[in-house]
Amino acid sequence: MEPLPLTLLFLTLLGYLAGVVASMACLRAGKTANLCACCIAALAAVSGVAASVTGLLSGAAGPHDSVQILPALLPYVHFSIRPDPLGLFFTLIVSLIGLAVAVYSLGYNRQFLGKKNLGVFGAFFNSALLATTLVFLADNAFFFLIAWEIMAMSAYFLVSFEHEKEESRNAGVLFFVMSHIGTGCLILGFLLLFKASGGYEFDGFHAIGATMAAGPRNAAFILFLVGFGVKAGVIPVHIWLPVAHPAAPSNVSALMSGVLIKTGIYGLTRVFFDFMGAPPNWWGVTVLTLGIVSAVLGVLYALMEHDLKRLLAYHSIENIGIILTGLGTALMFLHSGHPLLASLALVAGLYHTINHAVFKALLFLGAGVVVHATHTRNMEEMGGLVKRMPRTALCFLIAAVAISALPPLNGFVSEWLTYQSLLQGFGTTQSLIRLMFPFGGAMLALTGALAAACFVKAYGITFLAQPRSECAARAEEAGWQEIAGQVLLTLACVVLGLFPAQFVRLLDPVTLQLAGHALSSQLSLADGLVLAGATPSGGTVSTLGLSLMALCLVPVPLALWWMFSRGTSVRRGPTWDCGLQGLTPRMEYTATGFSKPIRMIFKALFRPRREVQREYDFSPYFARNLRFESHVEEVFQTRIYRPLNWLVWRASRRMRALQAGSLQAYLIYIFATLLLLLVFAL
Amino acid sequence: MHTPPASEIPAQLIALFAALMLVAQLLLAVQRMLLTSIRLFAIQSLFLAGIAGVVAYSHNAFHVYVVVVLTLIGKVMFLPWLLDRQVRKMKIVQEIEPLVNFPTSMLVCGGLTLLGYLVARPFTSLERLGNNTLAVAITLVLTGFFLMINRRKAITQVLALLTIENGVMLAAVALTTYGMPLVVELGIFFDVLVAVMILGILVYRIRETFESMDISKLSQLKG
Repeated sequence: MEPLPLTLLFLTLLGYLAGVVASMACLRAGKTANLCACCIAALAAVSGVAASVTGLLSGAAGPHDSVQILPALLPYVHFSIRPDPLGLFFTLIVSLIGLAVAVYSLGYNRQFLGKKNLGVFGAFFNSALLATTLVFLADNAFFFLIAWEIMAMSAYFLVSFEHEKEESRNAGVLFFVMSHIGTGCLILGFLLLFKASGGYEFDGFHAIGATMAAGPRNAAFILFLVGFGVKAGVIPVHIWLPVAHPAAPSNVSALMSGVLIKTGIYGLTRVFFDFMGAPPNWWGVTVLTLGIVSAVLGVLYALMEHDLKRLLAYHSIENIGIILTGLGTALMFLHSGHPLLASLALVAGLYHTINHAVFKALLFLGAGVVVHATHTRNMEEMGGLVKRMPRTALCFLIAAVAISALPPLNGFVSEWLTYQSLLQGFGTTQSLIRLMFPFGGAMLALTGALAAACFVKAYGITFLAQPRSECAARAEEAGWQEIAGQVLLTLACVVLGLFPAQFVRLLDPVTLQLAGHALSSQLSLADGLVLAGATPSGGTVSTLGLSLMALCLVPVPLALWWMFSRGTSVRRGPTWDCGLQGLTPRMEYTATGFSKPIRMIFKALFRPRREVQREYDFSPYFARNLRFESHVEEVFQTRIYRPLNWLVWRASRRMRALQAGSLQAYLIYIFATLLLLLVFAL
Repeated sequence: MHTPPASEIPAQLIALFAALMLVAQLLLAVQRMLLTSIRLFAIQSLFLAGIAGVVAYSHNAFHVYVVVVLTLIGKVMFLPWLLDRQVRKMKIVQEIEPLVNFPTSMLVCGGLTLLGYLVARPFTSLERLGNNTLAVAITLVLTGFFLMINRRKAITQVLALLTIENGVMLAAVALTTYGMPLVVELGIFFDVLVAVMILGILVYRIRETFESMDISKLSQLKG
């Protein structure tokens, strides 16, 4: 590794550390603390972006040495980092999102001034960024787990930052519990790897899977899948995600959805492609299936949500599913001996990782502004915001187009790459399992269509038409800091969408490291203007060309209009209201109404329950009052987690008999155990 | 009576100090007065420091000197002083009747000592210092545990915990070639220090709340 990126990396880490210290130093001065924390975090993040980009551009080949950043205190525990391409790529993601969120927080956090301690916020914000960066760079399992836990703790405190709300406290606890279940699995997984390699260095874990027996190897696969899956929010271990994301302040939601859940993806990629190697077929099939299930169910639940932030949280599950689809496909290709296609699928997955980080963070930032302005997260009480906050509306629109995978933005590019790898998979094997590929592609298409429908709803109900409540009518645009944070990510969306062939060069060292192929030369045609499907049978697409063509076509209707409108006069009138006394917000299409057809189609899944109560005087057709309630069952909560919860409670009630509440009794338990063990040892 | 050769003098000294530690422990088991108990603990810790000092001197191990100094400052002076002050502040002189009366406690402690020696026997070849130091260490842990179960006052429980810790330290000095890594020792030491300070505060609070230092009152807290 060249010295420059390494120096920049150290600067980044020290910067975040300085951010923690500075925020702690001015605990009592909220304004200064916020200024310090956000500015320092932003600077450190800039350095992180520079470090990872230069590192990825220069460090294509060669070994990557690990560097001790703290002296080792105990055997096996080395505080060493190894900036290899995979780690650097994820560092790029965390730095980019960290930068935008830091800038945004400068303004957004002003609402907490005088109410909450912003020094605490700044400290945990910086420590979350620091720990996440270390998670991506750590070269030792212990160090990794330490960083992992610091990250989880910081996130916990950030989620429950508004701890005076019961919702935030509960969300924090749920996150905490789920996160620890995951960490437990990770510890067991690393112990299995330790047994095989005799050390805790990630370097020693490289391709360790090949030397392991099938039993421990598969056990390690499942443990890591669950452990990292919890953090990534893969269905069915996703339940913390739609609870924690809405409860957190929106800048934290952006950080969590953009970066935190990507640590799960990082872990899965690291384990599957770096540690394990040569996967059995069922691994790939499992990951692909989980990906498809998460994608489809995630978007379906998102469609049913009227809480803007919960909707976005469910979309995170969907997008994690799309990323897993890429990773699972890559695993299947590795199994069937197609490293080139595996690289393509990996590029698709990783590309979607950074894309999702960018547009989801952007959507959460936008939602933050909206929620702050309207004092509600319920979309049914918004509306008409495009006139009140045009800049936020534009950024939100671009992000919505990106997440709906519409060309020419970034979501389209990565989903297109995913389709390419899925479609080319059909020919790689003769077994029936190849049907997975077209099926996956079909499900992905369904997901894309539903996501587009969902964002038509999210954008339309929130920003268009007339305001549905007093608060929405009085909403105000945010300050320049919030806008700057959003614009930054909007630009990233556009750049990642228009110049994919240039961007995949950054992914070259990553795929070279993990699957043995650098793809950028095969992926770009015509000097990088056109993105190709890497193999001769693959398709081609040019987002830049599409947008240029669109730009060229704009003058045509303008010219036609100009030609035919000469001599006619323009008259402006009110919107046609069917002869009623003017249009009111009560006549607007509601979010519930909009998603009704889909609720009906997927009735078996949603089990919708609705309740209508009429109060009338003489005829039911002239109701005085109408109460309408509609619910969607959350299958995983009611069918899996509630029975599980009940079992745990019952078991712990049984255990209560042991808890006499007397210190002596506890001591006797321990003492008796100790004596028994000693006597047996004799 | 023959004079031991010079190389055996450290070993003999260690055996002597270890035996004295055991004696202090047994006295502690039948001591009713709180202040005397605290002093007994201080004396026991002094012997521990003595053993560590002999080890440090005979093996020229620098970091064991650190342990000596920490033990002297912490366990011989600071913690006894702290507990002493606590007891005086609360004006409690005596332990109430323990669960098992004193003669029986003495017998139980004797039995535990026997067990300690039995358990340690297979390891005597490993022992660098010889002379059953490990056995004493195990006995300290076991009797310390018994003491904790037997007594009701929070202060005596703290003392019992500290004697267990003394036993662990002794085992560390006795078994390993250079003692444990300094980090571990420091870790244990600060753990104990913090634990005692917290316990001290808790004891005070318990007394404030329940008008007593009898920890069996704590079962009222159970829901």
